[in-house]
Amino acid sequence: MTDNPSTIPPIVRLSYRKGDLIVKEGDYGISIYKILEGKAMVLKESEGREIPLVTLAMGDIFGERTFLNRASETRSASVRALENMTVEVWHTARLSQEYNEMPPIVKYITDQILTRSIRMNNLIVKLVTQEQKAKLAEKRMDPLTSQRRFHRKKVDMVCQYRPFGASDRFHLSGRIKDISLAGLGMEVMRRDASGVSHVLGDCFVVTIVLPNKQSLELEAEVVSVQKGEIAGELVLGMSISEISPKAKKSLGFFLMP
Amino acid sequence: MEFETLIIAYLANEETYESGEIIIEEGTKGDWVYIVLEGQVKVTKRTSAGMLTIDLLKRGAIFGEMALFGKALEARSASVVAADGQARVGVLDTRQLIDDYESLTPRIRLLIKALIMRLKESNEKAATLVVAASEKKRKNLTPF
Repeated sequence: MTDNPSTIPPIVRLSYRKGDLIVKEGDYGISIYKILEGKAMVLKESEGREIPLVTLAMGDIFGERTFLNRASETRSASVRALENMTVEVWHTARLSQEYNEMPPIVKYITDQILTRSIRMNNLIVKLVTQEQKAKLAEKRMDPLTSQRRFHRKKVDMVCQYRPFGASDRFHLSGRIKDISLAGLGMEVMRRDASGVSHVLGDCFVVTIVLPNKQSLELEAEVVSVQKGEIAGELVLGMSISEISPKAKKSLGFFLMP
Repeated sequence: MEFETLIIAYLANEETYESGEIIIEEGTKGDWVYIVLEGQVKVTKRTSAGMLTIDLLKRGAIFGEMALFGKALEARSASVVAADGQARVGVLDTRQLIDDYESLTPRIRLLIKALIMRLKESNEKAATLVVAASEKKRKNLTPF
């Protein structure tokens, strides 16, 4: 079929920057876009979140749904530029005529594909939303995670510690640099602790005296070891494994912003 | 327009399938396009967690159209099986449908192709999500 140039409305080229919303779900619009350059993401909004459906690249078309779906006038999904993009915008006046001239059976089939596609996308949105809700519920149920949301306070406090199981007369000195209900960061000098290992998985009993002179004891496991700024200094990332309810309460009060 | 009137000129054959019988098998090649005349059929996909039903099609529903309007001679992306009792399906004249499709303008063809591609991707994605969710819950494998 030959197109008569005089009847084809001009095709417009547009540029978008990374992050731009090209099509917004719920908006009116019937233009169809073809990607000449860059990538984009089709997404749907559900309960304030963006749910990605598919990624589009050069040569891909989007926006065709509102054109094909005569029952709806609004965009069924949003499209966001993932990179700087150039797109071709098709004016649909001429296309409508081409659409109307389609053999009825092709139109019938196209409508069905469209309906299924919309149903599938709604299913994806439902599934993703369910999954996100489940994850959120899981997080709330996990006590450690809920503790982690607690304020992590930057401090500089002298503390004493000993390897788990050692006599409580044995103590080493360290400095606590930050602390929360779930963990703490502690600086230690290796030379002050000859013979004591400081590796991942080591468990220590740490005694802290809070500014209000209250003393508390807790058990913590080393989850990360880094070299400090001074030679021989270690920075231990520790996760609190045991703390009495009373000590936890004192620490909680201390942590309040 | 009633769908019977629409397809009458395209109807090449009629077939009857018993419940559970496979009409189209995922992964095989074929370009027949079908329409459900009576009963219902389910669209299933093989997944790591077993067979997943992704759709249930009723009277008037076309299936197998992706192979025709998508990329020629691509493997079937899903299986179609007769569901709950007998299903009577019509087989449409492929040649005639291809002629119709080719009479479309290039831009309209591009739109239909885009639509089919998008549906395929959505099907895959939905299948992956259902499998992930069912593996977590150990529930039966259906989104419905």
